[in-house]
Order: sequence, then C-alpha cells, then structure tokens
Amino acid sequence: MSHSTVPRSSTEAETPEKTPTASGDATGFREKPPAGKLSLRHRFRRDRVLVLMTLPAVLLVLVFNYLPILGNVVAFQDYDPYISDNGIVSILNSPFVGLENFQRIFEDSAFWNAVENTLVLFFVQLLLFFPIPILLALLINSVVRPRVRAVAQAVLYLPHFFSWVLVIAVFQQMFGGAGMLSQLLRQNGYDGIDIMTNPDTFPFLLTAQSVWKDAGWGIIVFLAALASVSPDLYEAAAMDGAGRRRRMWHVTLPALRPVIALLLVLRVGDALTVGFEQILLQRDAVGPGAGEVLDTFVWWNGVRNQDFGYAAAAGLIKGVVSIGLVLAANKVAHLMGEQGVYKK
Amino acid sequence: MTVVIGKPADEPRPWAAPPRPAWEEEPSRAGLAGKAIALTLACLAILIPLWIVVVTSLSSRKTIDEVGGLVLVPKGITFIAYRELLSGGQVTRAAIISILVTLVGTLFSMAVSVLCAYGLSRSGSLGHRWILMTLLATMFFSAGLIPTYLLVQSLGLTDSYLALILPSAISVFNILVLRGFFMEISQELIDSARIDGAGDLRILWQIVMPLSRAVLAVITLFYAVGYWSAWFNASLYLNDQDMMPLQNVMIQLVQKQEAPVGLGQDIKTGQLSGLAVQMAVMVMALLPVAVLSPFVQKHFKKGMLTGAVKG
Amino acid sequence: MTPNAASSGPSRRSFLASTAVATAAVAGGVPLLSACGGSDGGSRDGTTSGKDAKKILPAFVARTIVKPDIPSKNGSAIGFTGKLDLATLKTSVAKKLGKGGKVTIMSPFWGSPPKQNNAYYRAMNDLIGVDVVWQNQDGNTYDQKLGAVLASSDVPDVVVVPGWNMGGKIPSAIISKFADLGPYLSGDRVKEYPNLAAIPTDAWQRSIFGGKLRGLPMPQPSAPSMVPLYRQDIFEKEGYEVPKSCDEFMSLAKEITNARAKRWACLDMKWTAFQAFGVLSGSEKPLGWNLVDGKLVNRVETEEFLEALEWSRKLFAAGVVHPDSKMGKNAPEPGPKFAAGEFLIYPNNISQWWGRTAEQATQNPDFKIWGMDIWGHDGGSPTLWAEQPAGIFAFVNKKASESVIRDVLAVANVTAAPYGTKEFMMTNYGVEGTHYTVKDGVPVKTDQGNIEVMNAYPMVASPAATLAHPDFPEVAKGQVEWQQRMGAFARRSSFWGMQITEPARYTNLSNDFEQLEDDIVRGRKKISDMQQAVADWKSKGGDKLRDWYQKLLDENGSAAS
Repeated sequence: MSHSTVPRSSTEAETPEKTPTASGDATGFREKPPAGKLSLRHRFRRDRVLVLMTLPAVLLVLVFNYLPILGNVVAFQDYDPYISDNGIVSILNSPFVGLENFQRIFEDSAFWNAVENTLVLFFVQLLLFFPIPILLALLINSVVRPRVRAVAQAVLYLPHFFSWVLVIAVFQQMFGGAGMLSQLLRQNGYDGIDIMTNPDTFPFLLTAQSVWKDAGWGIIVFLAALASVSPDLYEAAAMDGAGRRRRMWHVTLPALRPVIALLLVLRVGDALTVGFEQILLQRDAVGPGAGEVLDTFVWWNGVRNQDFGYAAAAGLIKGVVSIGLVLAANKVAHLMGEQGVYKK
Repeated sequence: MTVVIGKPADEPRPWAAPPRPAWEEEPSRAGLAGKAIALTLACLAILIPLWIVVVTSLSSRKTIDEVGGLVLVPKGITFIAYRELLSGGQVTRAAIISILVTLVGTLFSMAVSVLCAYGLSRSGSLGHRWILMTLLATMFFSAGLIPTYLLVQSLGLTDSYLALILPSAISVFNILVLRGFFMEISQELIDSARIDGAGDLRILWQIVMPLSRAVLAVITLFYAVGYWSAWFNASLYLNDQDMMPLQNVMIQLVQKQEAPVGLGQDIKTGQLSGLAVQMAVMVMALLPVAVLSPFVQKHFKKGMLTGAVKG
Repeated sequence: MTPNAASSGPSRRSFLASTAVATAAVAGGVPLLSACGGSDGGSRDGTTSGKDAKKILPAFVARTIVKPDIPSKNGSAIGFTGKLDLATLKTSVAKKLGKGGKVTIMSPFWGSPPKQNNAYYRAMNDLIGVDVVWQNQDGNTYDQKLGAVLASSDVPDVVVVPGWNMGGKIPSAIISKFADLGPYLSGDRVKEYPNLAAIPTDAWQRSIFGGKLRGLPMPQPSAPSMVPLYRQDIFEKEGYEVPKSCDEFMSLAKEITNARAKRWACLDMKWTAFQAFGVLSGSEKPLGWNLVDGKLVNRVETEEFLEALEWSRKLFAAGVVHPDSKMGKNAPEPGPKFAAGEFLIYPNNISQWWGRTAEQATQNPDFKIWGMDIWGHDGGSPTLWAEQPAGIFAFVNKKASESVIRDVLAVANVTAAPYGTKEFMMTNYGVEGTHYTVKDGVPVKTDQGNIEVMNAYPMVASPAATLAHPDFPEVAKGQVEWQQRMGAFARRSSFWGMQITEPARYTNLSNDFEQLEDDIVRGRKKISDMQQAVADWKSKGGDKLRDWYQKLLDENGSAAS
C-alpha cells in the first residue's frame, strides 16, 4: 500500500494483496522476523516503552473481559445479592448449590423456548439477510458514474450509524399500529395493521430492521473483493465468448467465495447471539413467547428478577456452546479449504 | 474517479468504468433501467422514513392533526417542538450528557487504542505475541452479562459515568485495524527518526499518526458512534434518571410515548403535538451521525478492509 | 424464575396523586414454584399477627380536622364534597420537625416527573424543614431498578416499594436492608408524630416485615380500586348506554368501534373481566388464595379465571380494542388518546378519574370522564374481592442515622396530614398563586400545578384513605359513591390484611402468569397453555405452597368474610 499523505481519491483502488482474497495471515500475526540472539534484557530495554504503551488496553481487557469470568461461579450458587453491599462479598458469602441451577434450566420450558427462538431467528436472518449485501454490492459495483456511486454509498451506509433505539423508533413510526402504513390504509378505507406487535412475523420484522440498518454497510467487504478481481480475467473470459452472465458465474462469484465463507463462519460462530439490544427493546411488544432469546432470557432472570445464579448458569451454557460453535465453524471452513478466522 | 498515481490507468473494474473496454457488450436498456430502479428504491427505503421524521418534527400541531399523524408533505415549518425540548429540560440535559460522554469516551478510547496499536506494531518485540493473544482471545468469548454486571457494580461504578465508558472503552477489532495501518508505515522512516534520537512516543505523534489520518478518522467515528448510540449500559448501571443520556430518554419518549419532563401537561391537553416532540428527539439523535459519517465515508473501506485482513 | 410482578397493570400508569387515592390494585403475577429451590429464608417467612403484632404496632389516635361529608362505608375512602374554607385551614404540624438534613428518596413515578428543585418541591421542603431530594424512576419498570439499587452499596435514605414489586428476592432485601422503625413509632412513641398516629392500624399491620415495623404505609380503601372509566360526554352525545353484562359490553363495543375513523371501544379490559367474573385478586400473592370448602384455592386454578381471559380475548379478536393495547407493557400512556376519543373505555385506578378530569379541564371543557359500575358477567351482581388496606410502603435505609430517620418521619408526618389542614393542601395542591388559583373559594390547579404537584410526596405516608377534590367535588362524590356501591359486593379473601413473606424457595421460581395472561388475551397463546402452566405450577411446588399457606391459616386464623 502506498503511503503518500496525498489523500487517495478512491479507497476502492485497493491493490489485490490487501483484500481478503489475499493469503494474508488472518490472525494478525506476521511472520516473526529472525529474532537473532538478543538477550531478554536487551529486548526488554529496547521494547519496554512499547509494552508500557499496551498496558492501559491490556488492563482494561483484563479487568472487564477476563476478571468477570471468575464471576461465573455464581452459576453454581444460590446467589443472594442482598447479603452485602458488594457483589464480590456477596459471592463469597452465598451458598454453593452444585448443579442445581443447571438442573432447573433444563426443566424450564421458558429456557427451551428461548433456545428455539434464538435458532429460528438465526436461520431466518441467515437466509434473508445474508444475500442482500452481496446483491447490493454487485449492483453498486456495476454503477459507472462515480458521483452516483458515492451518493448511493453514502445513503446506504448511513443507517449503520444509527442506534437501535432510533432504528426501532423509525420502524414503529412507519409500521406501528399508529404508524404511516396503518394511517395510509385507514385513510383509504382499509383496517390498519400493526406489524410491530405481531409475534408470528417477529423474526421477519427483526430481519427487516437488520437489513435496513446494516445491509448497506455489509457491502463494503464485497465491494473490495470485487475490486480485487483482475480485469484481465474478465477480458480473457469475454474473449472466450463468455457473456455477462457467465462472467458473473465464473469470474465474479469465485472471487467472492472466500469472503462469503469467512463471513459465514463468523456468523455461525455467533449463532446464539442474535441482536440482543434490538430484541430487548421489542421483547415486551410481542411478549416473551416470540421475543425471548437466550440473551434476553439471561437479562430477564438476572437483572430483572435478581435470580443471578440462574441467569449466570444460562449465560454460561450459552458461552460454552458459542465457543464450541466458533471452533466447529472454523474446522468446517478449513475442511472446505478456506481460511476461516484463524489458522490451524 | 481520479486515477491514483502508480496504478494502471484503467480502473480495476473495466466494465464499470468509462470508457468501456472493447470486449464488453453494450448494456441493455432494460438492464440499465432495472438497475436504476433497484438502486433508487434501496435509497428511498432509507431516505423516506428519515424525511418523514424530519418533516413531522417541523410541523405544527394543526398540520399533524389535519393529516391524522405523520406528515409526508410539509405545510409550513415551525421549530416549536425543538424550542420546547431545548429550553433546558430533560432532553436538553440528556443531549448534553450524551455529547460529553461521547467526547470524553472517544478521546479516552482513541488514546488507549492508538497507544496499544503502536505498542504492538513492531513484530517480534518483547511480549508482543502474548499481549496480542490476550486481546484477540476476547473476540471469541464473553464472560457473560451477569458476571460483568456484578463486577461493575462491585467496582462501585453504579451511578457513575465511568460505567458508560470503561467497560466498553476498547474494541479489539479497532486496535487491530490501527495496528495493521501502523505496520504498513515505512520502517526506514521510523528507523531514521530513531537514529535522530526520537523516542517511541514522539515517533507515534510526529510520524505515525500524521501518516494515518484516514484510519484515525474512521476509528474515531466508530468509537464516537458507539458512545453516542449506547443505551444498554446506562439502563443497567445508572439508577439516577437525571443522569440518563439521550438514547435512554428517547426510549421513554418515543418507544413508550411518554411526555418529556415538564412538557407533560402541554401534550396531554393537546397544546403541543406529542408526535412532533417525539420526532424532534429522534432528529436530535440522528443528526450528529448523519452529518458526520459522510465526511469519513471515503475512508471506510480502507479501515474495514485492513481490519478484515489483519484481524 | 421469579414472578413477573413487573408489567403494567393499568393503574400503575399515570397514577396521579390525590392523596389517599387507592393505588394499584392490580398487577403482580402469582408466583410459580418449582421443585428445587434455594435455601429457605429461615424465620424470615410467614407473617406477624396477634400478640406479637400488638407489641410492635403504633398506637392509634384518631384525628379529624374536618368532618367528612361522606363517611367511610363498605371499605370506601372518606369523601369530602363540600366547599373547603381555604382561609381557615388548620395547622396539623405545630412546629417544624425537620432538622434541616438532606434525605434522598427513591420512588416510582407514573407519567412525566417534574423538574428537580421546582417550586412545589421547594415549598414542601420549606414546610417540612427537610431537604428532600427525589430519585424518581419510571413506575412501569420500577422493579428493574429496585433490585439493582437494593443490591448496591448506594441505597438511598428512603426507598418506596409498592406491594406488587415485592417479587423474587425483594422481600428478603426489605428485611435485610431497611431499618426497624419500631423504636420510633411502636406504641405511644408514635404520638410524637400525631398525623402518623392517625393512620389506621390496618395499614400499619401491613407494614410489619420480618417481625419488625419497617414500612411507612400509604393507606388505601379496601373497596375495589380498578374502575372501568369511560367518556361520558361521548356516550351521551352518541346515546350509548352503560353496559350491564359482558354480552351488553361486547355489543356496545362493536357499535362504538370504527377503526377507519380511528375509534375503538376500549383498551385491554382484562382487569374489568377479572372483576366481572369474580376472579380472586392478583394484586398480591397472598390475596390470590382463598379457602373454598375447607381447601385453599389459588386464583389461577379457578374456572372464573379462565372465563375472564377467554372473554377478554374475544374483545381483542373482535377488533374493538385499540391497537396500542397490543403493545402490552410498551403501550403509550392512555391519556392523550383517550382525550382525543380514539377509545372510549379503559380500566384503570380510580385516581385517574380525577386526574384526567383535572388535566383536561382548562383546554377541553367538553371532556367528561366517569366510572362504570362493574357488572356481573351474566348481568347479575358481581363478586368482588377486597383490596389490602395499604399497598405502597416507604422504607428507611438501615444505615441511616437517627437524625436522618427523624427527618424522614418529619416528612411523613406532613404528608400524612388529614384533609382540611394546611399541610394537606400544600401536599396535594401546592402553593396558591403558583400551582392553583382560587376561584369562588375553590382551588383550581394551574398548568404548572398539573406538572409539578404529582404523586411523589404522598408515597412517603398518607392519611387514612381520603377522596377530596375541592376543584371537582362531583368527581370526589362519584368516586366515593362508586367505591361504596362496589364495596358492598366485595368480600375478603383468607389472607386479607396480612403482610406475608413467602419462603424464598417458592418466590425464586415461577412461570410468568401475568405474561401468559396477556399473551392469551392478545391471541398469542391458548387457554390450554394456561391450563398446562397451572398443572406445571402445581407439580413444581404450587401444592406445597398451598400446604404452607394452610399452616399459616391454621396458626393465624382467616380474614375471610
């Protein structure tokens, strides 16, 4: 990549080796340069400032990402938040109950309902959301005029930066019982409809919101992959008599394959996390029957009902299964000959 | 599209860039029209709701009553809803809080992230691998909502704005993006500076950061948007309603359709349109983002991509 | 899981404070139980009655400043409908008891809270001699914050807890986090605070938690408090008749509804349905039990419960319910749309009868809200169940110093002042000239009064249930008479009047009955789902809880009437 300070006219002008199709090291590790035989002391003297610079970030991660792992012991406790004024003291003083919380969870139909909703949502989102950014990227990519392209991109990216609160508010104004759609229907002699509170269509509502908010943003990666395809390939294909459609099939799509695989792996690894904030904001409108997913189940039982041990147990189950999913998805990616998230 | 020096004169996507290469077919009329329609629809789907929100927020109660709700075609503009909201009540306070939290939080996040990214940008440096591992691993697990909640509470951060900043201060992804950029900077430049006696902090400040303005802009935007949009931590860790940021107030006002503090009576008796007030709050929440993000837009891809490659 | 005492019973919305207005009678799912639970709370569960209670309860010293125009009957509030001579208001607090300290109070709030440090709060604080700082929380989601605050090291000096928010582990938190007020109030000690001494003993009895007097009560009438409110002006204009049975209601609702003209008959009528079908109260877990033929029965096990749900469901299915109601807990405040005539009937706390009247009075002179009599579902007399004599309590932080506790009691002694006193007038109407003006000797609230003089202070403590609205005496009369007519149909269930703490192992686990009710009514779940949930509840511990209550009944006797 060039490093002139002259602003680049178009960031789309990526060189091929900077795109995900390139065989970069996806973990972020570069090949270690031969370290030589420098002594530890020497290296420490040389690098101590660098290490110090990472310290604030490392500290934050240790405190807010690693330390709480220990807090999962409450999953094995009948945790009483009111024993003391401090969570840690309360943990130390709460009785251990073994696997009782887990036993309760497995007997709890509400938990299984949440599991079911989570999986349904995952699949609906996967099927309906995933292809849209690809299609949009192909569309944008075929736009010739740079101005049109820049404006379209600006508009499509915009909702990504809106908060969920705002997105849901917008949807409510458009599709709620008193929203624009109902208003139009009523003015034209039909009954209004309320999409926002219908549990049967809730997964589709959520997907529509996700599409509105993030589909535009999702095209970036695909655009880059498309930009990386060498024009020679198209030309060669055209010379061989391949029409528009065949070039798309034999040149464009193979170029997108690694990105698609990578994103799919990431998505599957994250299957149990389906839009916590988005759903929490709408859970009450449709009721927990349709609106409870694993994350909101944890929130409801813990934060809302102070049944922390129970909620933590549910959270722990989710966390463990999620790690398993990430590993499994990567394995699949490797078997398919793709890069995955990290190397073997 | 101007041509980047050192690149072949023809763009890497010949079928999209004029002039059309000789081997490519002329696009069909229907195809072009289809594309134009699809693109226009996609953009309208985003813009029309925003238009309605803005127009309704600027409409008088009379107009809103006449059309029976949301306003598509403006009939006169009034700023009464904004005037009421910004006259020093709940919404004004919440907006100020959101702005301050966003400013302080973004500054803090950027400082920590840039330092860390630079600290990790020289491969083979001491502890480099371990530190990177420690950070990377957090992208694959989460300690869980409940333990995190108990920790923040135990640290005494309840009812403190620190609870809105510290737990979510850094994004490992953003650090990786920054690091990827820093690593691309010519080593000779840095080495020569070092020979001149510059320390790492000075190199970072005087050489690396000026060369990375684009990515710094993108990451700053990411962090700022994160702080501006956040509401969950506030709902979890703040008990004092007077401390709530704008998003949380918006939940009450728009989603639950409550009246802003002090304006309840005006809305209940119909002197002020509750709908216009809701819309005005929404506009206040979307305005900063909608204004700022297009400026940084041209750098998005660079930032996202480096992240995708390196991370 | 713990009981969902959370979602919005209508009465918790915009519960405007006239003083002793009855508070929420609704809400609170009945807790479900489960086979395995946490450790038992030891001696904390159960109730305190008889001799043990006598030792703790404050002495009662009646105090009537003005003779009520309508005395209490059938569990109603006392009513004042005559003109009040504002010039000769009595002073009930001889000297300022406050010592100038600062007291933070966390309380639920329905509607939009006034700004901090407004003219009303300042005037109240001046009168009391204590600097009260309010931490108002959204009343509809109060339980979310309550648990978090009680678990932190930062518990405010005073925390107001409504009975319907005492789910899950909250009862154990009340016992471990709040101070015993006995040393200040038990027996004759209360006489230092004469207005507190005038609070009826029934209400104090309910303030005993874990064997100690911990709460300051907000007395409420035991007569039903959930009223089907309707737009009398529109009814008259259109010639609609108030229905006398469920069938009549349904046909009226269909007549009223015209969705294209943005008019629906009503909001969710579940609460009215429970009354029409004679379902035991859901406002508090113990009230849901009653002795029938020698066996305790829970409200969810009754036929009436299912019938009421089915009828409410039919209303939704018929499309006569305003679409906002589908949103359940997220539904917007009913006020503006009721005023706009988008729906004509909704069940809510009796306090809204006056609240809506007052807020619309200046702008919409035609607006008239009135309460329907509750009908028996088949057109006969309804069977109603008595509400608790106190439902909202203020607690003092255990760590509070004596001087803070004294200051809190000073606040309570002012807010509990009876009708006809300067303190009552200030608590409920604010400052003359600022919050109300006097027209023909009648105080009329100004817009500022409607914003600022809301429901905060009365929740610290209130006098015996009182209905008095000098600005709208006909509303006060209508309210008291409604309570007396409906109170005549009200019976007491077996555990009426007791403050009962269930064993921790039962509170910890429950399914969401209230949520299930709402889902069924909205057509998202079936009646059979409820039957299944009740069967599960029984097997997971409902039957054991029944035994526990039976034992309690054997020890303490029944309150049933």
